[in-house]
Amino acid sequence: MTSVKQYIDFLHEQRPRLDACSLPLLNARRDAAASALVAGGFPSQKVERYRYTDVAAAFAPNYGIWLKDAGGAAGSALSDEDVACCQTHYGTLADVKADAIVALNTMLVDDLLVLHIPAGVSKSHPVQVTQTLRATAPLMQNRRMLIVAEAGAHVQVILNERADADQDFLVTQVTEVFVGPGAQVEFYDIESTHARFHRFHQFYADIAEEGRLTHASITLAGGLSRNQTDVRLSGEGGEVHLLGCAVTDGQQHVDNNTLIDHRAPGCVSRELYKYVVDQQSTGAFAGRVLVREAAQQTDSEEQNANLVCTDQARMWTQPMLEIYADDVKCSHGSTVGQLNADALFYMAQRGIGESEARTMLKQAFAAEVVAEIPLEALRQRLHAMIEKRFRSCEDCRLCK
Amino acid sequence: MLEIKNLHATVSGKEILKGVDLVVKPGEIHALMGQNGAGKSTLSNVLVGHPAYTVTEGSVTFNGKDLLSMTPDERSHEGLFLSFQQPVEIPGVSMVNFMRAALNAKRKYQGLEPLDAASFLKLMREKRKIVELDNKLANRSVNEGFSGGEKKRNEIFQMAMLEPTLSILDETDSGLDVDALRIVAEGFNKLRTPQTAAIVITHYQRLLDYLKPDVVHVLIDGRIVKTGGPELAVEIERRGFDWIKEEIA
Repeated sequence: MTSVKQYIDFLHEQRPRLDACSLPLLNARRDAAASALVAGGFPSQKVERYRYTDVAAAFAPNYGIWLKDAGGAAGSALSDEDVACCQTHYGTLADVKADAIVALNTMLVDDLLVLHIPAGVSKSHPVQVTQTLRATAPLMQNRRMLIVAEAGAHVQVILNERADADQDFLVTQVTEVFVGPGAQVEFYDIESTHARFHRFHQFYADIAEEGRLTHASITLAGGLSRNQTDVRLSGEGGEVHLLGCAVTDGQQHVDNNTLIDHRAPGCVSRELYKYVVDQQSTGAFAGRVLVREAAQQTDSEEQNANLVCTDQARMWTQPMLEIYADDVKCSHGSTVGQLNADALFYMAQRGIGESEARTMLKQAFAAEVVAEIPLEALRQRLHAMIEKRFRSCEDCRLCK
Repeated sequence: MLEIKNLHATVSGKEILKGVDLVVKPGEIHALMGQNGAGKSTLSNVLVGHPAYTVTEGSVTFNGKDLLSMTPDERSHEGLFLSFQQPVEIPGVSMVNFMRAALNAKRKYQGLEPLDAASFLKLMREKRKIVELDNKLANRSVNEGFSGGEKKRNEIFQMAMLEPTLSILDETDSGLDVDALRIVAEGFNKLRTPQTAAIVITHYQRLLDYLKPDVVHVLIDGRIVKTGGPELAVEIERRGFDWIKEEIA
């Protein structure tokens, strides 16, 4: 509760400034969010979805909170239609009562990035959002994104999370995505930060009939990363592909927690998460697939595969399948293993030294997720980023 | 080239090799025959430095150097090659990347610059022809989804790329039909030079019909008990191993 208090105090102190620089829409939700946070507090690790990450500890330090300059007129560039769209959708998937991170974010957020794709519009190029934190002191930032793809619209979004300064950073990001009837949304979340970076991303999506969402969560470097991805298939014939790849070392901690909620018949879900957990790092994956009674003819596959490279590295994996419909095709599974010793020896016999062989095998393992990404240019970039990640600077041939 | 003296080796504490002596000179092909469990594969695994095997006694000299003190990749760089009985599938690692890593590691060991991409691909193309290996296979992951015959052809292809001085063929004929056996054997023969040598482990005469060994050894219970010319292999094909066992009993 003490760590909640500092945020509530901050809200009371900074309320005028927050309200002055934000949309009325954001300001209208602060009080309810604050009440929810006070009522619930930060979740302990006894709360099922937060078993693997100590949220209270992460939010206990006093980070400076970054606020926009009050000078800018809030939302001046938005059309009435856009404002109406935000009104309709903002905060409807991310429930302040259900999650403390959402409550905190809703309470303090001062900026909203909106992507509103009107019916039938197809963006020819991906939208890239690069967020680079740079500061000379510890810093907290609360960010919000809303994506509304109306019927038949198509959009690809790449979110690059980066940090430029070696500081303690804490970021909450809440993303709400509405995939309209027959619409297609691809969302690629790529974190490449550092050991002092703490990131909580709550991602919520609703998929209408025949809509399709591809979501990839790629964590290449970071300190503490917790990504919660909740997807609701609420219209018939919807489809979701969740991809995840985490490469961890040092004291890094990556926790991916997903929920695929099949609410309508004839939907397809595919989920593949792979981790390469090295040194003393820890990885956690919990993926729940819920098939409700109405969701007949559901076709769902969930897979989590993990390489644990050292004795000190830890991986928790928890695939969950919960079925209330009787005519469905569902599978789920997970593996935790080490590098294939036979492959290492085979490579050694051909003259490939152990360290190079290990790098090649780890890279091949992670690359399987990247290969599933439909956006080719991004696929190539990620292959290169992963190769770079696995090679220490001295033998990296990428920047030479 | 290779001199094995009184070699003893164990796997999981069990002694498999009980004093092997063998000398291989440049240009020679030695056939190593014996029943299952005689220690043929153990000998090849010990020579290439498989970590599951422990040498308890004896020595192996390869081109004047102490082979047993080298790591498996150093043995490879020194010119030792094993064609695996069961080549390993490596999903996600393409043949091209695998071969490039292997070849460039060897070049680095020899103090040479890495091969540029164009020269490397040209070399791949040339060497593929030796065992009629399809371009499609060369672009796939290492051995993944290859048929038994394709895997063995791929082994000889890798041998062609790495140009070892001493090759060990561990039951390269197993699982091959007549045509695949011919392609593999002819490919191997194309790579022979007066400076290279080979140890061919097999149960059967048919591979030896193609490879024409200079010397044939019979391994029984961890020791070489009989050595002869090519006619010895023919006799084993006809009479089996029991008469040799009786001879030494």
